[in-house]
Amino acid sequence: MAGIVLLLASCYSNNCPLENTVLCNYSFYDAEGNAVNYGDTITVTTLMPGNKTEYVYRKLGNPVVIKYEKDAALVEQGYTETAREVRNDTILVNQLSKASSMKIPMSYFNKIDTLILSYKRITLKDTIKIEHSSYPHVEQPECGTYRFHTLENISATDAAIDHIEISNAQVNYEGNVNVKIYFNGSVED
Amino acid sequence: MGKSFSKHIITLLLFGMASSPLWSQEPQAIIQPQQAQQSRAEDHASAQNQPLMPGESPRPTKYIAVEEQKEHLVFFQGFTLSADLFGPIAYLVSDYGTAEAALRLNLKNTFFPIVEMGVGKCKKEDFNTKVTYDVKAPYARVGFDLNMLKNKFQSNRLYLGARYGISNFKYDISGPAQTDPIWGGSESFNQEGIKCTSHWAELVFGVEVKIMKNFHMGWSVRYKTEIASTKSDYSKPHCIPGYGYTTNSTCWGGTYNLIFDLNWGMKRSHKRGVRITSGNIPAQNTPTKENKDIEEDKQESHDEGATGTGNEGADAESANDSGTAE
Repeated sequence: MAGIVLLLASCYSNNCPLENTVLCNYSFYDAEGNAVNYGDTITVTTLMPGNKTEYVYRKLGNPVVIKYEKDAALVEQGYTETAREVRNDTILVNQLSKASSMKIPMSYFNKIDTLILSYKRITLKDTIKIEHSSYPHVEQPECGTYRFHTLENISATDAAIDHIEISNAQVNYEGNVNVKIYFNGSVED
Repeated sequence: MGKSFSKHIITLLLFGMASSPLWSQEPQAIIQPQQAQQSRAEDHASAQNQPLMPGESPRPTKYIAVEEQKEHLVFFQGFTLSADLFGPIAYLVSDYGTAEAALRLNLKNTFFPIVEMGVGKCKKEDFNTKVTYDVKAPYARVGFDLNMLKNKFQSNRLYLGARYGISNFKYDISGPAQTDPIWGGSESFNQEGIKCTSHWAELVFGVEVKIMKNFHMGWSVRYKTEIASTKSDYSKPHCIPGYGYTTNSTCWGGTYNLIFDLNWGMKRSHKRGVRITSGNIPAQNTPTKENKDIEEDKQESHDEGATGTGNEGADAESANDSGTAE
């Protein structure tokens, strides 16, 4: 009987997901709905809880310099210093180029995530607001805990984005396309 | 009895069926009382007609199984009650175990409808993730076994069967607090009383061997497949009472059974499997234990005016024993 117990125990294996984080999958399309590799370079930042102090240095005929710590050297060079409180942010995707999709994490406990898309070819930025709910999920005890999300609403500005829609509201580790971003015009290189 | 008991245990545990009578290719010498009597008479006549030559030893009497005995099997052969030893032992050496009992109906020693009920318990904490899963709930299975042996009279059995299982349970799952790595914040993870109903199917292969008069032992191996389980956002059940771990869509299980024959609603002679006709019982039978039973039945038949339809059954094995002892 001990042999049978060991035999049964030896057959045990786990089926933990390969992905150890849950990411929202965005897929890119042109305005007509064709899947594309977006030609521009995209950097995605998100707003974080809390504020930080931002120092802006300006001088006639020179580009604006933004720093998060005071720079006395710039003041000595004739720059004017302006301090302002801004929301904390962090970069989620840095310099993504010629991609057909991107995967971005979602907040565990915030109701709304705000994503800011910066482009290399245009100075304007797009802001995407994602309203969602989150809940814990355990597939198997040995796999640990995950955080799944359900998308409830999504909106975006129109600097480079024609429109945006939810494709699959369930954000989990199955890798489905959750959000479709339709960019203006034909963006194929 | 002790020697016989030890022999059966060793046969069952160590050699499985290899040396068991279940696998014996030689026909079992099973005989009915009237046949035994008839054979005895023929042998006696033969011995009378052909006297032995000097130095010649008498030929051994050989009785061959009679196919017609199948016709004499009583439809209702009684109940058996069994308890599983494997489940409790599994719980001692692993995270999951069961306490299970089964009530089985014996129809013609061939078809065995069965109901299995038990309680399954699983409590597991993963060493690495610290996630704890806890469930304790009853479960039930219904199904049947088919005795695959050609000789339905012997007490040993080899069977194939199928089961449908169901368990309605609540489980708790908890783990370390979840912390958002980007936006920050933390929340404890403790979900209690998640409701779930699971259905599954099993294919069963098993054997059982007679140890004593009404006591059998046996084991079974089960291939299980999950049919459906209630979905929950928070988790899927890691372990289903009566089914086992849900890591894969199928799993293996087993039982080691202590089986007791119950004689509910049966006379002693009924469960023995051979029709007894009062007219065929010779008066000069030796007063063995079996013949006493036959005499009792004969007396009852006279009393009730019955023709023997309800008094079917005689222990073929006992008849066999008495036959080979000639």
